[in-house]
Amino acid sequence: MLRMSSSDFTLPQRQSLIGVLVMFADTLRKIVRGLWPLLVVWLFKFNEMNKLYLGLGVIGVVLVVGIIAYLQYLNFTFHIDEENDEFIIHEGVLNKSKIAIQLHKIQQVNINQSLIQKVIGVHALDIDTAGSSKKEVSIRAISHDLAIALKDKLLAESRKASQHEQPLDVTQTETEKPFIAISFLSLVKIGITSNYVRSFGLLLAFFFTVFENIQNLAQNSHTMDKVDAEIENYINQNMALYSAMILIAVVFFLILTINLFRTVIRYFDFKMTKQNNSLLLSYGLLTTKSTIIKPNKVQIVALSQNWLQKKMDVLNFKIKQASGSESEKENKKSAIEIPGCDEVEKEAILKLLFGQIPEKGVKLKPNFRKLLFPSFFLIILPVSIVFGYGFTTDDKVFDYILILPFYLVFVGLLLYFGFRNYRLFVNQQYIIRQSGAWDIDNEIIEPHKIQAIKVSQFFWHKRANVGSVTITTAGGDLSFHLGNYTKIKELVNMWLYQVETTKKNWM
Amino acid sequence: MNFTNETINITELPKFEEVSFLPLHKDYWKIILIGNFIFLSMMSLGLGIFLFFNEEARGYWYLFYAAAFLLFLLSVGFGKLSFKKRGFAFRQHDVLYKSGVIAETTTIIPYSRVQHVALHEGFIARQFGLTSIQIFTAGGGDSDIEIPGIEKDKAQNIKQLLMSKLTSDMTNTDVENE
Repeated sequence: MLRMSSSDFTLPQRQSLIGVLVMFADTLRKIVRGLWPLLVVWLFKFNEMNKLYLGLGVIGVVLVVGIIAYLQYLNFTFHIDEENDEFIIHEGVLNKSKIAIQLHKIQQVNINQSLIQKVIGVHALDIDTAGSSKKEVSIRAISHDLAIALKDKLLAESRKASQHEQPLDVTQTETEKPFIAISFLSLVKIGITSNYVRSFGLLLAFFFTVFENIQNLAQNSHTMDKVDAEIENYINQNMALYSAMILIAVVFFLILTINLFRTVIRYFDFKMTKQNNSLLLSYGLLTTKSTIIKPNKVQIVALSQNWLQKKMDVLNFKIKQASGSESEKENKKSAIEIPGCDEVEKEAILKLLFGQIPEKGVKLKPNFRKLLFPSFFLIILPVSIVFGYGFTTDDKVFDYILILPFYLVFVGLLLYFGFRNYRLFVNQQYIIRQSGAWDIDNEIIEPHKIQAIKVSQFFWHKRANVGSVTITTAGGDLSFHLGNYTKIKELVNMWLYQVETTKKNWM
Repeated sequence: MNFTNETINITELPKFEEVSFLPLHKDYWKIILIGNFIFLSMMSLGLGIFLFFNEEARGYWYLFYAAAFLLFLLSVGFGKLSFKKRGFAFRQHDVLYKSGVIAETTTIIPYSRVQHVALHEGFIARQFGLTSIQIFTAGGGDSDIEIPGIEKDKAQNIKQLLMSKLTSDMTNTDVENE
């Protein structure tokens, strides 16, 4: 392993020159990300704009970004300071900064390639350190040989510098066979079947931002008045029910597309590699991200699958780890997602995390009172408001009364399935909570990972003997509301017994 | 070989719900009252300033003060209930804290999961020689226990007890983590 490379890392050196392209793409992406609402508006006004100015503008932006990228390249150097056992990076065009990493703090060194990096044939080298939430250091463009040499050097030095702490040797190169690779097809399946609610929110935000920008522009230009009138006209027409249907279809289609693109861009080429007892994940189309999962740090494992995904044999994993540091804020949920596993992959991952496939134990159901509160807020309250408003103030509301049955059926189904799926399964090794109306989540906790338990009961639930329990782990909470209180107390006593007698560590 | 592995009878495990909780120190009730009085006087002062500048509302001054007094009475009543409902217990392996009027909540932290312990002394509490003791876990904010109204030397003892459990535990953890 201690291969001495010919490259001398003690002198400051730059990245590969061709890496300017990577920095160019990075900067451009940042600009686009910051200005996208404006860009969308300009796109709509494309025909009205002076093509000459537009062309000059584009050339100007490209030039400026190019110069910035080149300056970034010139100012970025890295070297190993052998006297102080530090890895040092200088960077920054206007704000110069020097980053020094003590070698013994280096936890892992990853070599990755994003799409752009693949095209121009360079690699990224990321350094992960212990006990710091700061963005880890990343060299964006480095040739493959140099990357390997630097990595070996860093890990060798890091081992020399620290006597007892063994850094993880993460040799993730293309040649190594990944333990699990999520196929493109699985990503597509997940993309079109998940996160409807989140995408709807995104879509809404998108429309509001664009609308606001259009309005801002409208104050300056007269042509926009026409557009404004048209929009209002359009909205009026939309009052008809059938247009509403079309609108719903369009929104649904947009949600699907957004989801699909998000998932594919985010999780493209998802690979899991096994590495001395831990799992290394790397994924991403534009930028490659990599994270590490250590099974003993895993606190909560959540599996999520809906009816469609079940038919297509895909499911999502969400893994919540306790971070290594003592700081309270960092300990808070850092969830890692694994999208699109099939049944075989699911079992392999579960086996790796738990040593076996967790079985569901004795079932605990919620009391019917669990339904009362949400039904009041989602059914009784809105319906009485609509009728109250209709009878007293404005009976035009009743023109749309046809929507009501649809709403009631929709909400009723959500509540019913949400209630039916809400279960707690407990056996000696695992606590599994199942929940969700459409996306059914199964959250798995091992009793010895419990940090604290909270039981509570509203005073009006005393006679009905129902109550709630919240289990806290270092990776987040898990609650079960309104179950049989006697049963819950029994479980709590058992969990306390397990936590207080276990030899296993929670981390 | 004297290895046994008998089935645990869940119903015979020690029951947390049957633990007798210790009440908070009597003087803590006075602290709650003082807090309420401070609140009342602040409110009265605020009302006075408001009525001084707002001539229209001045005619109804008694209504405002009646409302403020009612609010004060309610908060005192609620405070009394909440004081009565609170209690703590230290068992051999865990610490329990009970509180809540509307929802009665019991939080339990096993000693082996305690991260650190802090003592807080408020200005008013110090006049009564009372301290509050806060017990942290890796679970973060919501699961922490804060027991108010404990005599200072008692709190110190509790802290010592927890810390001794903690250090004996820490040495094990450290060995396994490295």
